[in-house]
Amino acid sequence: MSAVLSFPTAVYSVEAVKRAAYRFTDRLSFEISLNGEEIRCSVTALADMTSEDLASVTARVRNEVLDQDLRERIAAETAVVRNVVLAYAFSAAGLQDL
Amino acid sequence: MSRFGALADYAPALETRYQLLPFRFANLDDGRCLVTNLVGEYVLLARADLEDFVHHRLVPSSPVYDDLKAKHFLVDGDHSVAIDLLVLKARTKASRLAHFTGLHMFVTTLRCEHACPYCQVSRQSEDRAAFDMSEATADRALAMVFRSPSPTIKIEFQGGESALNFGLVRYIVERAEDINRHERRDLAFVIATNLAIVTDEMLHYCREHDILVSTSLDGPADLHNKNRPRAGRDSHERAVDGIRRARAIVGRDRVSALMTTTRDSLGRAEEIVDEYLRQGFAGIFLRPLSPYGFAVKTKSYAAYDADAWLDFYFRGLRYILELNRAGYRFIEHYASLVLGKMLTPFDTGYVDLRSPAGIGIGALIYNYDGEVYASDESRMLAEMGDKSFRLGNVHRDTWEDIMTSEALLGPLEASFTGSAPMCSECAFEPYCGADPVFHHATQGDAVGHKPTSAFCRRNMAIFKHLIGLLEEPETRRILLGWI
Amino acid sequence: MLTLATRALELRGFPADEISRHLLLSEDRALPEALRRGRAFLTREADPPRGFGAYVGFQDRRDILDGIDAETPSVLLPASDFEYLSDGDVLRVMPKGKAARAVYRRRSRQNFILTTERCNNFCLMCSQPPKREDDSWLVEDILRLLPLIDRATPEITITGGEPTLLGSDFLRILSACESWLPETAIHILSNGRTFADMEFARGYAAIGHHDVMVGIPLYSDVSHLHDFVVQARGAFDETVRGILNLKSLGQRVEIRVVLHQQTYRRLPQLAQFIARNLRFVDQVALMGLEMTGFTRANLPQLWIDPIDYQNELEQAVDELVAHGVRTSIYNHQLCVLSERLWPFARKSISDWKNEYMPECGGCTKMDQCGGFFSSAHIRYSDHIRPFLAAGSGTPSGTPSRQTAMALAAE
Repeated sequence: MSAVLSFPTAVYSVEAVKRAAYRFTDRLSFEISLNGEEIRCSVTALADMTSEDLASVTARVRNEVLDQDLRERIAAETAVVRNVVLAYAFSAAGLQDL
Repeated sequence: MSRFGALADYAPALETRYQLLPFRFANLDDGRCLVTNLVGEYVLLARADLEDFVHHRLVPSSPVYDDLKAKHFLVDGDHSVAIDLLVLKARTKASRLAHFTGLHMFVTTLRCEHACPYCQVSRQSEDRAAFDMSEATADRALAMVFRSPSPTIKIEFQGGESALNFGLVRYIVERAEDINRHERRDLAFVIATNLAIVTDEMLHYCREHDILVSTSLDGPADLHNKNRPRAGRDSHERAVDGIRRARAIVGRDRVSALMTTTRDSLGRAEEIVDEYLRQGFAGIFLRPLSPYGFAVKTKSYAAYDADAWLDFYFRGLRYILELNRAGYRFIEHYASLVLGKMLTPFDTGYVDLRSPAGIGIGALIYNYDGEVYASDESRMLAEMGDKSFRLGNVHRDTWEDIMTSEALLGPLEASFTGSAPMCSECAFEPYCGADPVFHHATQGDAVGHKPTSAFCRRNMAIFKHLIGLLEEPETRRILLGWI
Repeated sequence: MLTLATRALELRGFPADEISRHLLLSEDRALPEALRRGRAFLTREADPPRGFGAYVGFQDRRDILDGIDAETPSVLLPASDFEYLSDGDVLRVMPKGKAARAVYRRRSRQNFILTTERCNNFCLMCSQPPKREDDSWLVEDILRLLPLIDRATPEITITGGEPTLLGSDFLRILSACESWLPETAIHILSNGRTFADMEFARGYAAIGHHDVMVGIPLYSDVSHLHDFVVQARGAFDETVRGILNLKSLGQRVEIRVVLHQQTYRRLPQLAQFIARNLRFVDQVALMGLEMTGFTRANLPQLWIDPIDYQNELEQAVDELVAHGVRTSIYNHQLCVLSERLWPFARKSISDWKNEYMPECGGCTKMDQCGGFFSSAHIRYSDHIRPFLAAGSGTPSGTPSRQTAMALAAE
């Protein structure tokens, strides 16, 4: 059983698609490629799966891509603070240096 | 009254643009989202609130705004003290790392008179003195123990049946105490023993030197004896008698028990808890079956998967909570240490739920033959022929060689959850740990493949379950008493 | 409630323009001659001993002091109000202002030293409403008082206004406490904001006082809610930073929370915040509302019957105790406190302030219970009931004050 998912590069990063796909590698195998302005995801079930089940899990893959996109946004916005916090947490400097 | 300002005068303005602080999120089964910050504080949000929050649409009058602000998910105005507090908390969580190796296990002998199918070391008969640790090995191992800078040192005697070489236990205790007169660490001893062959004289020695006794109790007699066969079929009887004698001689608070879960344990969670209650214990550690040693050889491990064990665990936990609600204080220890990670500023000392992993830097094991392993599980793996986590030998290698070996540093770095696939973005990462030995044993890779990892599945289910339990006020009150 | 100050006094023998003089009272007729000049004899009987530096008597027994010559300073106090005065107490007399105040009572378990009435917060429930006037004269006054205080005094509370606004003078006072009272514990009530200046915090730590703790209020886990209660923007951040600085210097800190309508709702969350961020504080004090100062003006915003926040209070205490934070509850009556919380209740209302209400009649737990501030008659719980049977955990079913009033009105 297999299906094809595509994600416009204008909206999603390849990284987000890969991270989303990774979470489903217990049930699915993925072939990811770039096709013009689209990220193409060829999805194959690892074990027997009905078409309903495949539709259901690919819907979840799509949602996960959305979530990964959200995570990217959060990470980008908070990267600086995160580095500052970790740097100070592991340094010997006092808090007053902030 | 004109002299006093209204709340609106102090609250952030409607148009306030708040700043996001680092956080991760996970979807829960009921459609809500869990957000966790850098140090594992959490808030439960509706999905719509999460989206609003990330896109800076959340208004200060929203019910979740104050929680997100107080728990350092967002910062508004000039509140740099929030950053200070986050730094302090991150530092506190990580502070155990600086202590380095606190748990040092000594395998005094591989000999044992039990023949447990799940045993994680070779079965050897009582006759083979070739499998005892020598004083020379003990001396070199002790020298390594005190190379660790940890202010607290726990020396744990393991085996086989460690008491079968009690002479060496005595030797190590006295040598360690001697060295510690100068080192002045907080030094503690534990002996892991099945108690079947432990004499009163040995127990008096434990009392004299403040050695804690840790024994095995798998459940009611029939289950325990099936799990732990010995000639005479009286393991349970001896364990119970040993517990009584040990409490009487060493002290009632100085005797603990651990259970091991087997296929036969499943479905009997309440009975096992009842057995612990009956034997006067104040809590139980509902452990998963480890995939090492004889467990794999005798297919005990394949016999059930993570879900079957989770069923067992949740039934046990539910039963324990019922006991608590009825007024009987009884703790489930795994939940207790996870709750500590969720609710307190501190990290756990439990080596299997830490990141960086507890191998080597949290615990070390010195085998009877002087071989040094990164953990007890690493030793079990070696007994099965896989020496991936063998770090060196006390007779041939220095402490520096051992602690900087690739066998240790490689898996530590690779398995670090902060950078592992799926873990690095996981909302539950602050509560979880790296277990490179488990993943190597079950999946052939120290990093592991988390989508198919039993460790991941098991822990994530427990985290979600505990978060759900904490929402109910009376249950929360009970669980708070466990941390 | 004791009267500590008065303007209804008669003075003789003091220079007319003298601002302030401390009189260390003695009732010891056999006090060695060499010590008498430095003391004021508290005269209750005829024929007072000679040679004292001053004499203090009562207006209803004025003739006892007839034999004292006119040049020797003497004070006559209104009789009923000051009967409590005794040996070792210190009376500050202000001849120019024609006023006197008992500033130290040796037998009291709570002695307060007011350092200033200025404050940089303006709390909705402030029991000592701030004044803007320059009252820095208090500093020298205090420095003169300290040597007169009995060195066996167990504890003294330094209060205000905001004591740390005195800056280096505050440090001088604390240092003088350590010099003159090396066995006395000092409890400082401060909003903690000045300690956000690490330099100041270091100066404080450098005094090395043998037994001092700063009690710092924190009213919410959310900065703007705290700022609202104390009516000062930025107060939360400075207060927290002050706490962090003090603890980083190994100084003892107590967090105080006054429980009222604006603080009870997020009390469990505040407890979580403290347990998570300020786990290292030495203790937490959860306090009942006092009906003085600004509280009366802001009563509609502040009042909540304590029985209505027991849920939140229990959750907060559970949280703190589970994390190992020492917790105490002050100024709550036992009949409105969840029985589970009784182990944390401290009997603490100052002995010059506390009273019991009519509803308390016959209560067997009055001794354990702190009772009320005398100001409480303005508003107190509708659920005050006596515990009638000894060992009883439930207050009896006598009608509440509200019900009684309603019944009477019918």
